[in-house]
Amino acid sequence: MTTTTITQKKPSLSPAAVLWIGIICVFLIIGLFSAFLVLRDGLVLTNLSDSVPWGLWITLDLSAIALGAGAFTLSAIVYIFNVKRFRPIVRLAILVGLIGYTTALLTLVMDIGRPDRFWHPWVYWNVHSVLWEITWCITIYLMIMLIEFAPVIAEQSFFDRWPKVRVVAGKLHKLAPFLAVAGLLISLLHQSSLGATYGILKARPIWFKPSMPIMFIVSAIAVGPAITMALAWIVEWVSEGRKKIPHDILYSIARFSGIALLVYAYIKFWDLAAVAYYGRTPGSDTAFEVLNNFTPYGFGFWVVEIILGIIIPVIFFLHPRFRKNPGALVVGALLAALGLVFSRWNVTVSGLIVPLTYALGTLFQVPPADYFPSLVEWGIAVGVLGYVMLLFTVAVYFLPIFGYKDEPGY
Amino acid sequence: MSKPRKKLKADLTRRDFGLIAGVAAGSAVFAQLVTTGPLSPFGALKRRQLSEEDYEHEDVDEYHWGMVIDLNKCIGCEYCQRTCNATNNVSPGKPWNIVVEDETNAGETFYFSRPCLHCQHAPCVEVCPVKATYIRDDGLVMMDYDRCIGCRYCEVACPFDARKFNWEEWEGENAYVPTWGIPEVPRRPRGVVEKCTFCVQRIDYGYENGLTPGDDYDATPACVNICPVEARVFGNLNDSESNVSKYLDTFATVQLRDELGTEASVFYIPLGEET
Repeated sequence: MTTTTITQKKPSLSPAAVLWIGIICVFLIIGLFSAFLVLRDGLVLTNLSDSVPWGLWITLDLSAIALGAGAFTLSAIVYIFNVKRFRPIVRLAILVGLIGYTTALLTLVMDIGRPDRFWHPWVYWNVHSVLWEITWCITIYLMIMLIEFAPVIAEQSFFDRWPKVRVVAGKLHKLAPFLAVAGLLISLLHQSSLGATYGILKARPIWFKPSMPIMFIVSAIAVGPAITMALAWIVEWVSEGRKKIPHDILYSIARFSGIALLVYAYIKFWDLAAVAYYGRTPGSDTAFEVLNNFTPYGFGFWVVEIILGIIIPVIFFLHPRFRKNPGALVVGALLAALGLVFSRWNVTVSGLIVPLTYALGTLFQVPPADYFPSLVEWGIAVGVLGYVMLLFTVAVYFLPIFGYKDEPGY
Repeated sequence: MSKPRKKLKADLTRRDFGLIAGVAAGSAVFAQLVTTGPLSPFGALKRRQLSEEDYEHEDVDEYHWGMVIDLNKCIGCEYCQRTCNATNNVSPGKPWNIVVEDETNAGETFYFSRPCLHCQHAPCVEVCPVKATYIRDDGLVMMDYDRCIGCRYCEVACPFDARKFNWEEWEGENAYVPTWGIPEVPRRPRGVVEKCTFCVQRIDYGYENGLTPGDDYDATPACVNICPVEARVFGNLNDSESNVSKYLDTFATVQLRDELGTEASVFYIPLGEET
């Protein structure tokens, strides 16, 4: 028997890649172990309580969905406003959106007390509930993103044996403009409803305001595309320029995000002025007093949300000295993401730490609640991060996300 | 794939459009059928639960169960909390019924107690994504422990801190049994939210046996029965002859945080009102 030498192309892994894969594996193991513990023993393992029933995981849900907002924003820019120049980044944006939304669903399943009943909102409808609406929107939008992403997967050589799949995927892709319209509507709805989740609760004086949904959606529109842009730069650097997106697109996104962040800052400023100054009520006054005396709320708000999360990114995105400097843009986007995550945390936890007052004309004042995530909560967070890193790495490595060609399918 | 084209407009033919519209409409109908309609694998469960939810009484407007709590009479003995823990099998760490010592702004000590207020515009009912909590025709705010997914939004939304989440399975012995009562309902499983029911099992028993909740012992909430100073009065707010209605007619009462418009079914007689 003559031996045919099968030259197997050995994937050459640099030490950095090995380290990266190692980190992902460690994160995933930590996450899976934490998930096992939570499913076995229940939410008693968390530091959540009846006063602060929502915490780190809800913050992760809200942040992941907001950071995935690049998908609908950039799809809308390309397919509705017909700015075709941005076409090369749409696939990456949808990938980031898919990862963000699945992350949110994963965390949510951990967070609910009965994960076995995750399907209940689909079957038992309460159309008055914003949370029900959000669940449906996220489900539908996830499907829209999967359809939008189908051609990318169908291009894999794996599907050579089933050409039909590609035909179907191609047909689906013709839907792109319609999907973009539906995606835009549904995203506008649920991204703001996430803010309304807090904004409609009349019993909580620092949440109950109509600006809540608006701040949520504007910050998502500002930071979602920025994080997509930052990831594009990072992939370009790591792949040493093999996978890249035209730089003028990335510069334009940075400018767009900078302006959107300014809009966000403007609304946030007026919100602060209205709630804490012009329209202050005994409830909101007491709430801020409690927060300032018992938590580093003021520091977190001014330093992390405003300075790090808005002002520095705006300077980096818009100032002529930095706006063509990829390093500054990436740092700016990461800072903006940090500010966004922190603002979601601040909204969730601060609103719950302020105790409810309902007794009659008395001094009845429950002490402010206390919350810092437990080890197992951090474990799930780390695992979710590992999931994000794994999915992004695998997708960028194996799928045609980059290398836009001017042909159908893009 | 195919040859590159310069213009990439949505090149849909009329046939494509028809197909897409058909598929979209079809999938909407399919989703409806599978999630809530007759094809739903959960259909039987859902119909059973809906039938419980739509539990009808002979006359819808005949009953609205409510309570009056007299802050002047309450002595803070906590009997109501203890018998509630026993009757409703409630974990002592998270009582449905609370009693706290409180102080007026003038420095006078009094005792404040609070069951679930059974609001008629209940924030918890509005926010529940699965209708696991709902308002019955007779005004009771109910929990469906088989449907609750444990998202805890109701707990966040309740202005009165009346809801408690089962962070873990409660396996310990109930120290209040049998001294303070015998459990009439099973313990709730881990991962769902629970709250005061106005002893719904007793009210339903009253319906079935022609008893009047509030007057007949067996149909009245345990906390009302046990109160040694009659600080709690229970009855039908829609019946002008009931005890609660007479109290409401005679004394000045307040509802907690009525500015929120939740329309609580529990009324308080404030301090200083001669009773």
